[in-house]
Amino acid sequence: MATDKSEVLQGTLDLMILKTLQALGPVHGFGIARRIEQLSEDVLTLNEGTVYTSLLRLHQKGWISSEWGVSENNRRARFYSITRRGLKQLTVETENWERIAAVIGRVLALETKA
Amino acid sequence: MFERALTFGARLKGFFGQRLADSSFDEEMNTHLEMLTEKYERVGMSSKEAARAARRQFGNTTLLKQRQREARTTMFFANIWRDMRYGTRQLAKTPVFTIVCVLTLALGVGANTAVFSVMHAVLMKMLPVQDSSHVFYLHTSGYPDGASQTGETVTSFSYPVYRAFREQSGLQDVMAFIPMSSSGKAPVRVGAVPEEAAGDMVSGNYFSGLGIGTEMGRGFVQKDEDDHTPVVVISESFWATHYERSRNVIGKALYIKSITFTIVGVAAKGFEGTEGRLPLDFWIPLQSRPEFNAWGAPAEQGIYLTAPQFWCMKLMARTAPGVSREQALAKAQGIFQQAAYIGLAQRHQGDETYQVSFHDAKQFDGQDNSFARALKVLMAMVCLVLLIAMSNVVMLLMARNANRQREFSVRLALGAGRKEMVRQLLTESLLLVVAGGAVAWIFALGATRVLGSWARIQSNLQPDNAVLWLTLSVLFLLALVFGLAPLRSAMSNGPEMVVRSSATASQASSQKVRAGNVVIVTQIAMCMVLLVGAGLLLGTLRNLLKTPLGQKPEGVLVFGVHPKHISTKEESVAFFVALQQRLRTIPGVESVSMAANRPGSGWSSNGSGVTVDGHKPNGIEPEQASWRQNWVGADYFRTMGVQIAQGRDFSDADSATAPAVAIVNETFAKKYVGTLNAVGHVIGNSKGLHPLLIVGVVKDHKYTGITEEAKPMRWMMVTQAGAINELNIEMRVPGDPTEMLPAVRKVITQVDPDMPLLEPMTQSAVFAQSISQQALFARLAGCFGVLAVVLIATGLYGTLAYRVSRRSAEIGVRMALGAQRSQVVWMVLRGSLLLCVVGVIIGLPLAMAAGRGLESSLYGMKSLDPASYLFAIVGVALVALFASAVPAGRAASVDPLNALRSD
Repeated sequence: MATDKSEVLQGTLDLMILKTLQALGPVHGFGIARRIEQLSEDVLTLNEGTVYTSLLRLHQKGWISSEWGVSENNRRARFYSITRRGLKQLTVETENWERIAAVIGRVLALETKA
Repeated sequence: MFERALTFGARLKGFFGQRLADSSFDEEMNTHLEMLTEKYERVGMSSKEAARAARRQFGNTTLLKQRQREARTTMFFANIWRDMRYGTRQLAKTPVFTIVCVLTLALGVGANTAVFSVMHAVLMKMLPVQDSSHVFYLHTSGYPDGASQTGETVTSFSYPVYRAFREQSGLQDVMAFIPMSSSGKAPVRVGAVPEEAAGDMVSGNYFSGLGIGTEMGRGFVQKDEDDHTPVVVISESFWATHYERSRNVIGKALYIKSITFTIVGVAAKGFEGTEGRLPLDFWIPLQSRPEFNAWGAPAEQGIYLTAPQFWCMKLMARTAPGVSREQALAKAQGIFQQAAYIGLAQRHQGDETYQVSFHDAKQFDGQDNSFARALKVLMAMVCLVLLIAMSNVVMLLMARNANRQREFSVRLALGAGRKEMVRQLLTESLLLVVAGGAVAWIFALGATRVLGSWARIQSNLQPDNAVLWLTLSVLFLLALVFGLAPLRSAMSNGPEMVVRSSATASQASSQKVRAGNVVIVTQIAMCMVLLVGAGLLLGTLRNLLKTPLGQKPEGVLVFGVHPKHISTKEESVAFFVALQQRLRTIPGVESVSMAANRPGSGWSSNGSGVTVDGHKPNGIEPEQASWRQNWVGADYFRTMGVQIAQGRDFSDADSATAPAVAIVNETFAKKYVGTLNAVGHVIGNSKGLHPLLIVGVVKDHKYTGITEEAKPMRWMMVTQAGAINELNIEMRVPGDPTEMLPAVRKVITQVDPDMPLLEPMTQSAVFAQSISQQALFARLAGCFGVLAVVLIATGLYGTLAYRVSRRSAEIGVRMALGAQRSQVVWMVLRGSLLLCVVGVIIGLPLAMAAGRGLESSLYGMKSLDPASYLFAIVGVALVALFASAVPAGRAASVDPLNALRSD
């Protein structure tokens, strides 16, 4: 169990949430958790509570905004959406991530050859 | 960076909306859990299982809530609050330490604030005028022959000069202001009671030129000056004290010298006029009535508007924008050179050129230098006191923190970060500084008031914003020093110390001891300087108080009288002789006399030119024979208590029609007549005219003040003088002279209900005031010396006591090995006496340098006065002995067994 699931890398959750919000539009915390669960295909373990820590952080940085609304099954829920500054940040972070991922990929490829 | 700021802002907001955010997060979390539970129920779990699975999936809710709360708000405030509570508890645990620190700080900082506040107000503060960098006082270096002026030589100009400046100099505005009398005050009446109020007669552009607004009503306009309209602008404080700030004051009547003036405005709050130490109550436009002559002078030779020889107007100027001070001054100088001679004799070849100069528009114009110097010396003294106080507190803090090393190690061992410890220590010192600063401010407010009244400055000296900023920055600096200096000693030991036996740690490191010694030696050196300074100044004060006056001012009441409608000699003689007769009838009065210049007030009439029996006085050229004189009434010397060496006192028989007589002092008799037996000789002016028969010779006695040297002096009868419109009445009465005042007032009111007593006081007080500045200076210096001694005693005591307590194990060992108690006591005493000797040796040259700086403020003392130095050395030695006696005794009472066992 522990071997086939990975911990969420520090900082990557923020990026995932930003991307989710960009893709889905306004969505509540539960929705975000579902979306990540669905996309990660059960590879990642995620304490869903940490989503809220991340949301608060993003909110404080002004990258997302929130507003109370009613969920699909008629519950009062807080809907988050990405701001303009958040969108800009997402582009930056995505590029960063791709660069790092490429580097890591190259480093790992190097090792197998040797 | 921007994100950080945003985050901090959001957290700050979170701090205040704490509870609301908590409950809304609860709701959000519960919704999430419910939805998660439903999801599991949909895949077939029982509701119980589903709920458990949901919670597992969600994670620890309590922890999350806590994390969320921490992230949402800043922990900054919570931590500070915690540190403050902890610090307060720590300080409360050692109340003596805390009180000593707070009081030390309060005295050090408070004395600084008070002295700086006075110095700032007197030497630096600008008038509250608009754009004060373009406003200047005008001074002159002199005035042509034939001009007479007011006694304030440098600030006096004539009316033609004023007109010339206005019309030709290109200065944007030239404002004139003239005091109502030589005391600055004039009789006024608001309701029924006559009183004195300070006022100036000013030019029409006075308010507009200075840029002073009004609380209500209007200032003056040019027409007021041209028409000499009887209108008045009152000061805000006069409005408050006399009219309860009533809005209906405009249009009311104010009687000044019995003339009705209509109030047209109230000057802006904070504007107290341009007369420096005398805050003004009212301003009137330049007047043309004879009784409103400048400075209250008699108008025999015409008033200031028509008498170009009367230099009496004070001037200020505003330069035009874009014109530099130098340009404006050069132009004004050109005008002045011509205008100075208008109405006077032509300028002679080779006469000096009188220079006009500009002086910054400070609250106090041309402060006399002795006062400024005294203030600077005081400032230096309080700075030393502050330094001593600061090093004291640092040493106390160091000692205290070293004693708390056990506590610090425990906290470090329990996981406190060094950062937290530093913050904690800084918070503690901040608490001390805040408490000390608050007490200091209260102390400074009181001290400033006392300083002002002692220095006889009535205008506002209270600390303003500039002073507040200085005090705050001093406090901030202190907080930093107090927080950082003791850090090293506190943090030098790691957590392992808690497990170490403290006997091994009980010897203070030699480095730390040396640092402490340097501080103590410096303190003792500074104490030397302060004590020598205090000794010199107190010696000066003693000399001043001991100086024989040659008269008995005790039991003499003096007050000025200024009747309004006197223009001829006959009128003044009739008035004053009648007044003297009436005052003599008051029961209990021993004698009544009069004097033109009030003895002890500093005023004097000086002149030169003497012939004796028509010849050269004792071989001196008649023109070179200078003298001082006073016009006095009958019984003058009996009233003043001056001993008559030969001849007689003035009497009622020396009337206007009787032969002109004079009385001279011994110096005059010896210097000009050549013998003390001067009675019967006749003195005249340099041409032998105006002969006066000498009818008496009196012992030399003080005239202008206590510090003067004896000079040749002569007295003449007021009845044989010209028109006089103001005299000081001297009355010798049994008991307290001021108790006679009500009876006197009754008599004066019967003569003229609008005539107030001018500056009524005892003659002793007049003389006391003549040295009030020196006395104030000396007393303050003495206070600061004592303060320094007390501070150093506490500092020395604290340090030594601490050292002894740290060395108790060592002392125990010594005693166990056979050291005698006396040896132990001597060991401690020797240490502190050695420090004292080194401190004195370093302090001596510093004290000598300081003494030389004080030289000009001394009276009857040399700056190397051995008694003052002895006093300082003995003082310092006593302090050192006293401060080390208790710790030494404690060291001697160390029980070797206990000392060795306890650690």
